[in-house]
Amino acid sequence: MTTKKAVAVSAAIALALGVSTSASHAAMAKVQTVQVYISADTNIQDLWVKTLVPAFKAANPGYDVNVTFDLHGDHDAQETAKLTAAATLGKDAGVDLIDGGFVTTLGAAGLLFKPTVGIVPNLIDVNKTVLKAGKGGIPYRGSSVLLAYNTKNVPTPPKTLDELLTWIKKNPGKFTYNAPSGGGSGYAFVQTVVDKYLSDADRKTLVSSAAPELETKWATGLETLRQLNKYTYGQNGTYPANNAETLKDLATGLVDMGTVWSDQFASAVKAGTMPSNIKVAQILNPTLTGGASYLGIPATSANRNKGARVLANWVLSPAAQNLIVSGTLNGFPVIPLAKLDPTATAAFTGVDIQNLRAGYLSANANDLKSKWASTVPGK
Amino acid sequence: MRSLLRRTGKEGSLANNGSGSSLFGFALSLPPLLLVLGFVGIPILIGFTFSLGFTKGPNRVIAIIGQQIHPKTHWWGTFAAYSDVFHDSRFVGDLVLTLAVTAISTVLVIVIALAIALHQRLVGGRTASVLATLSIVPLFVPVVISAWAIHTFYGGDGFMRSFFANIGINFPTLTSTSTAIVIGSVWTSLPFSILMISSGVQAVPDALIESAKDCGASTLKVISTVVVPLAQTPIIIAGSFTAIGIMGSFTIPLFLGPNQPTMLGVEISNFFGSYNRPQQSLVMAFIVFLAASGIAVLYIWSNVKSAKENGRI
Repeated sequence: MTTKKAVAVSAAIALALGVSTSASHAAMAKVQTVQVYISADTNIQDLWVKTLVPAFKAANPGYDVNVTFDLHGDHDAQETAKLTAAATLGKDAGVDLIDGGFVTTLGAAGLLFKPTVGIVPNLIDVNKTVLKAGKGGIPYRGSSVLLAYNTKNVPTPPKTLDELLTWIKKNPGKFTYNAPSGGGSGYAFVQTVVDKYLSDADRKTLVSSAAPELETKWATGLETLRQLNKYTYGQNGTYPANNAETLKDLATGLVDMGTVWSDQFASAVKAGTMPSNIKVAQILNPTLTGGASYLGIPATSANRNKGARVLANWVLSPAAQNLIVSGTLNGFPVIPLAKLDPTATAAFTGVDIQNLRAGYLSANANDLKSKWASTVPGK
Repeated sequence: MRSLLRRTGKEGSLANNGSGSSLFGFALSLPPLLLVLGFVGIPILIGFTFSLGFTKGPNRVIAIIGQQIHPKTHWWGTFAAYSDVFHDSRFVGDLVLTLAVTAISTVLVIVIALAIALHQRLVGGRTASVLATLSIVPLFVPVVISAWAIHTFYGGDGFMRSFFANIGINFPTLTSTSTAIVIGSVWTSLPFSILMISSGVQAVPDALIESAKDCGASTLKVISTVVVPLAQTPIIIAGSFTAIGIMGSFTIPLFLGPNQPTMLGVEISNFFGSYNRPQQSLVMAFIVFLAASGIAVLYIWSNVKSAKENGRI
């Protein structure tokens, strides 16, 4: 190629590039795309893709939403690494709104755009304690782990954890919970049994900060769980791999009792995969854990003050909260029930959705999952 | 391509001025080599340094996020993460299970594949073709689907238990046992081995088999002294690929195996994700890597041997 030709070609390329960037600028001015990253189970994917996003786009022309989905949060560590790296370099990570368990971890690390009522007006209706616990995350729905039971074989379910433990021993092979590393419903049971032997102060510390020094106090609870091996469903202390398997074991009648996520259970009932003779209830002393799910806007997102903020604010509106409550998800709302459609919230009688007992901080939760795996199954 | 390389190589060795063409040959092989070095070699190296406690540079972010990270204490690093793994009560069980499942499944796969291939070669006919065709089916079923299918088939409320319950036999629940992992591994690995081994067995010339028979050799003798030795290379290749695949499997042991001990593929994922211990998960990955390298050596040896026999090197 001669020099003249090369110059001509590069000039043409530059021209073409210039034209295309200005064209895309024009397109962006018309429709702004909000990049949403979801790290969760498929029910949350459905909530966004089938329910929230179409409603948001209908209510807010000029915005488009692109959803990236990571099943079960398999890439949480990589995504956290990417966001940390982007924050260090001060660059846009290409994610505007995150829905996932690691949002509070990002918040604690100072990587989130701090939401205030001034920026996200609908936060005014949200419980202040729940908001504060998010460390920069925006609570947008709640869920709790509940005890599911087969009414045919268990007319009166246990009311407290002690009663539940007694029931399990009296009815060998009829209770199960999934491996804590495979899903939150099994994890909640493990943490609840472990918490039974801890003081209120210790529980609070484990929820709010990394506390390896308290972990030796889990031993009694883990021993209680190990002794349950021969009474739970499955031989030699084996447990279902994930939330879905516990639900399946309940639906097919393999077990009479198990711990399940409130939203997954409600979705299964609605989809017809859970027979009507399976009901859910909460236990006391201590209650099974639950809590809010948080949205996070990365501090480095270019859309933090635009689309991401608009979407987050809309999700907290009564219209969106009604969709979260009544749609396929059946989540708990984060705004007062009085603002919502009464027919949709009728299902919440009997479950105290305002006082959910929180799970541990993720660092402690990871350690508990690891300790459970080395002390309970197959021992 | 291969003949071109051989020609340039030969010219290079014959004539002194051929260094240009041998360089050309080397240059031709460079792109894939660089690709492997860049996208596989460098990450492995970075991972290895992280397992030794090099927490700066490319490992900085993962070292901030991970729990129970051991930064290096000497200029060459530290073995603290290795010590963590070897002292973890879970590790020995996991390693034994991984090696045992790999060995048993591989032997089963080779025996079954060889049986089907020999049946097709020596007996033939309609049943043999049907059997060979059917045995390829698992190749087209995604592993996650087959794992779940096997799970429901052998589960507490599965077909086997329901069927045997009808005739008054209490069939054991096989899910969450190492037996189920073997069943699943054999199911998923069989098609490749059958393709590989039956093509090797088919390639044995009729003349050799017939002349052995004419000399009075029994079928067993024909198999052990003619067919199997001639098909040795594809058998070893099928065996090593199967073993490496099973050793690193994840879905099958996750769905079908017990929670603990579990195969290292699942344990590595647990350590990396659920327990947030990236350094320890890397240590386990290198142990699997070492074990798999042992099998790879067998594969390369068999390849070199067959190349020598064919006069390619």
